[in-house]
Amino acid sequence: MPIGVDEWVAQHTDRRDAGTGWRRVMYTLEARVSWWPRLLIVFVVGLLFAQLNLNSNIEQVAINSLIYAILALGLNIAVGWAGLLDLGYVAFFGTGAYGYAVLSSGNIHWSAIATIPVVFLGTALFGAVIGLVSLRVSGDYLAIVTLFVGQAFMEVVNNVAPGTLGGVNGLFGLDPINAFGASISTPKGYYYFALIVLAVLMGLLHLLDESRTGRAWRAVREDELAAKAMTIPTSAVKIMAISFGAAVGALAGTIFAAQQSNVFPTNFTANILILIYACLVLGGAGSLGGAVLGGIVVTVGEQMVSSPTDAGYLFYGLILLALVAKVRPWKVLGAVLAATAVGGVALHAIVHAISPSATGGSPGSAGWIGHLVSHWVIVPTNATTYGNILYIALIVAVFAVVRVRESLRPFVLVPTLYIAACCWESRLIVNPSITAQILIGAILIGVMTARPQGLLGTLRVEVV
Amino acid sequence: MHELIQTIVNGLTTGFLYALIALGYTMVYGVLQLLNFAHGDVYMIGAYIGYFVIQWFGGPTALSIPVPLLVAIMFVISALGTGVLGVAIERFAYRPLRNAPRIAPLITALGVSFILENSVLLLFGGFTKSYNTNEFISFNTGIHIGAIDIDSVQITIFIVSILMMYGLIQLVDRTTLGKSMRAVASDREAAEMLGINVDRVISYTFFIGSAMAGVAGVMSGLAFNQISATIGFLAGLKAFTAAVVGGIGSIPGAMIGGLFIGICEAFAASYISSKYTDLIVFGILIAVMLVRPTGIFGRPALQKV
Amino acid sequence: MEGPFTGPVAQVGLEQLHFAQLAVKLDNEANGTDVTLAQDDTQLTPSLATQKTQSIISSNAVAAVGPAGSQEVEAVGPLFGRAGMAFISGSATLPALTTDGKNPTFLRVVPNDNIQGPQDANYVVNHLHPKAVLIIDDDEAYSQGLVKTMIPIFQKAGVKVNHQTINGTDTGATLANAINSLVTSQLNPAETVTMLPWQAAANAQQFGLAAQQQHKKTILFGTDGTNSPSQFKIPGSYVSNFGPDISSSNSALDKKLVSGVAQFGPYGAFGVPSYEAADVEMKAIASVCKSGGTPSRSNVLAAIKKTNIAPSANPLGATIAFKSNGDLVGQPGYLFKISSSGKYQTIPNK
Repeated sequence: MPIGVDEWVAQHTDRRDAGTGWRRVMYTLEARVSWWPRLLIVFVVGLLFAQLNLNSNIEQVAINSLIYAILALGLNIAVGWAGLLDLGYVAFFGTGAYGYAVLSSGNIHWSAIATIPVVFLGTALFGAVIGLVSLRVSGDYLAIVTLFVGQAFMEVVNNVAPGTLGGVNGLFGLDPINAFGASISTPKGYYYFALIVLAVLMGLLHLLDESRTGRAWRAVREDELAAKAMTIPTSAVKIMAISFGAAVGALAGTIFAAQQSNVFPTNFTANILILIYACLVLGGAGSLGGAVLGGIVVTVGEQMVSSPTDAGYLFYGLILLALVAKVRPWKVLGAVLAATAVGGVALHAIVHAISPSATGGSPGSAGWIGHLVSHWVIVPTNATTYGNILYIALIVAVFAVVRVRESLRPFVLVPTLYIAACCWESRLIVNPSITAQILIGAILIGVMTARPQGLLGTLRVEVV
Repeated sequence: MHELIQTIVNGLTTGFLYALIALGYTMVYGVLQLLNFAHGDVYMIGAYIGYFVIQWFGGPTALSIPVPLLVAIMFVISALGTGVLGVAIERFAYRPLRNAPRIAPLITALGVSFILENSVLLLFGGFTKSYNTNEFISFNTGIHIGAIDIDSVQITIFIVSILMMYGLIQLVDRTTLGKSMRAVASDREAAEMLGINVDRVISYTFFIGSAMAGVAGVMSGLAFNQISATIGFLAGLKAFTAAVVGGIGSIPGAMIGGLFIGICEAFAASYISSKYTDLIVFGILIAVMLVRPTGIFGRPALQKV
Repeated sequence: MEGPFTGPVAQVGLEQLHFAQLAVKLDNEANGTDVTLAQDDTQLTPSLATQKTQSIISSNAVAAVGPAGSQEVEAVGPLFGRAGMAFISGSATLPALTTDGKNPTFLRVVPNDNIQGPQDANYVVNHLHPKAVLIIDDDEAYSQGLVKTMIPIFQKAGVKVNHQTINGTDTGATLANAINSLVTSQLNPAETVTMLPWQAAANAQQFGLAAQQQHKKTILFGTDGTNSPSQFKIPGSYVSNFGPDISSSNSALDKKLVSGVAQFGPYGAFGVPSYEAADVEMKAIASVCKSGGTPSRSNVLAAIKKTNIAPSANPLGATIAFKSNGDLVGQPGYLFKISSSGKYQTIPNK
């Protein structure tokens, strides 16, 4: 580590206080307002949101956001605070969901008042067993073992005891969450339930973070040897981190299973694990607010991509955001945008004059974006092959943008933006489910390279 | 008896593929301490490159060149293509994060894996594509002793894999590049101070590792015909298991691990139930990790304070 | 429409989609309606089907085509039922779907496995006369259901049954290793017929090639899941299906459909029942409009239940009318033999 980096981080407070304008206001607010009013504000906003007249699709997305937020909070305990790379986390989510499913269907049908605590404690115990493993192996080896715990979970629910666990076909027709004769039957009910769970959890986790245990976790994360030297019982602390995280993940699983009223092995694949990690790292590992924000952003983003209109907002919005954040000075940014717009319209006109069929297709975007771009992007009548070629060109172009010299960058940027738009309108938007995955991948890489600490995380120096 | 031998042959066929993929995992881990989760997808891309080479030369029923030449060209083009892809992935997704927290490159690796798999889905569709190997390499070529059949594709896989592994060991042990690799693996900063161009060594490592995965992809297409965008994940996972069981970072470990996993799978499918093969393999992994956390051939990691 | 438009069985899903699109287009033209078909990709997974169904229910759709898989129908049946919305599948064949009462708004235009399984087993017993058969299920409900109906028939006819299982969720090299090893250790010389009631045609092809590679002789007999002329083409194999192959039919309607579907995508026998599923819904919507009503979920469902289409007016070659549980009144089944050039030839199924 070059000399000076630590000092730079150490001066964070000084630089912050010396800031001006909105940055300073934000920092002051952050320093003055204590944690519980902030939590209360978030909770009230959540309640107010449910008062809007929402269609059931939006309700579903809202519930999923909360579930992912809870999942990210649980993952944050092991990964963000204790620094244990737990790649089997999705197994805890699955254990919670399957636990709920088994206990509230078939011929058992327990009340949720019994099911949820049993599942919660049971998964905490399971987590503790996995935590014991973390004592045997550390670092990357822990990641490897837990990754395979996740895969083994999938294999178990797929193949073992199909009578109880349903095998590949899953379990369905689960009871809703019920207690004392009442049950939650509407999506809105689940929204409130998940919101309350989330708020209570955030409060408790905040207290935990500031307790001795929380400090011990961070000590283990920063330097296990030093922590041990300071008489912190590192073994117990690590087991606790994984076990607590597991219990929180299981809680999310119970809500998920009850609300979906079905569980399937495919609900707990490695892809879901990646999504949960995306929530956490996007929001910022180690930060409670970040985990929740990440959960909301990832779920809403994923949903937006599957609707052509919203996907357009997301795609063009992200590009603009990236440009505003990265291209300086403003003059260059303006020139790049103007050149892309004018150049595109001109190119469209020229191509149209040469061969009308080359511009015969209509852009995939609906609504006003579709109208706006229809004389700008080139979409031929049969766009699949054309779109595929553009897609490869786009990858090459993005690569070029990253690699070329600073001074040449604006010139490469203009065709890249145009290719991106043409490819989006002719190909990507046609396959929303695939495009969503590509975008998630791109966002993960982009966020990690541009801001490894995530949206709300704080930069920390790793001791090497 | 012949059943037993045939099962071993089946297991070796898959095992050599796992071993070749595992070598890439292990080499990258050796020099960068990075778990390159995108490696399985590089293997998948290699299989697709091989497929398009067959189509380019007229398709399985109307080949314009002799079959041995075709197979050689498939190996070479696929190795070059995936090698370049591997270097590009490293340059683009891992190098900017050389000094970031450990979790960051892991996340970008997952991102790259997402992009590769879904790009193939987007460009070539979700259909499985078939090499139709039996239409240009007959099952009757090869060795047949009694009821034991080793066809020429399997023989090719065995020979090419062994040659590549031998070549790799020679490269690592005997050449300057190999020496630099070992230097970077044991201490990157010290190697840099001694004037080794660390970035270049890492690029070469990615090239070689990915090229071997590409060759494995072509072999998988030749031996098993069906390729699709999703074959990378499970094969990657199995190869990764192999690398870890053998001791991640160890080259002989990855080879032995790959063959071991392949044979275990074949025996599990033959004599227990193919339902439980994955569970058995992952069980072996977790057991090995608990008994010997650094794998069979791995050296215990020195913790620097 | 719900279907697997991407993923391992995308080919099937796309054939279904293209035929449904054709039905919507032709019926819109014939009846002067303006119905649009939305697409929801489920990748044959119940979890995705559940999500997509929730979004379909919240939209203004009046009826749905699909989903393709039986396990998907099991997952979404209660949801559609609660919404009072009809959904017609052109490929979900699990018998329990119509008998367990959990899917009140579910209908299908294909025979259930209680027809297909025994049809196939009886054909094998009567025409191929094996001493023993190897039956391999792929560990999914579809496969296990078929196996359950086949085994008693073989046993009754004195045919020895060797029943094995593969892991249907495996892919690539791992799956190939399992298939090769099964052929090595489980395919015995007496088993001159191997039943493959699998979801994926490519895997059946892999099995056939593995048998050839190890020089083992057995006749493969696949069910509808393996019916894919481009992927499963081991000469001499048999494949059953719930839809007819109309590509070489001489009827005017069939010719019109085969040429009409080309504008959406290549022809595939899998899509034909989905044409009929969409056609039934389109005709129901048209009849509601003709009687002066505004199509809603309840009146479209009622109209669908009253469907009665003559054999000559649909490509399935049977009367389309539904029992109260959602099954067809008469349940046709179809059988193909793969010729030495890999072509599917329709043969009598008795």
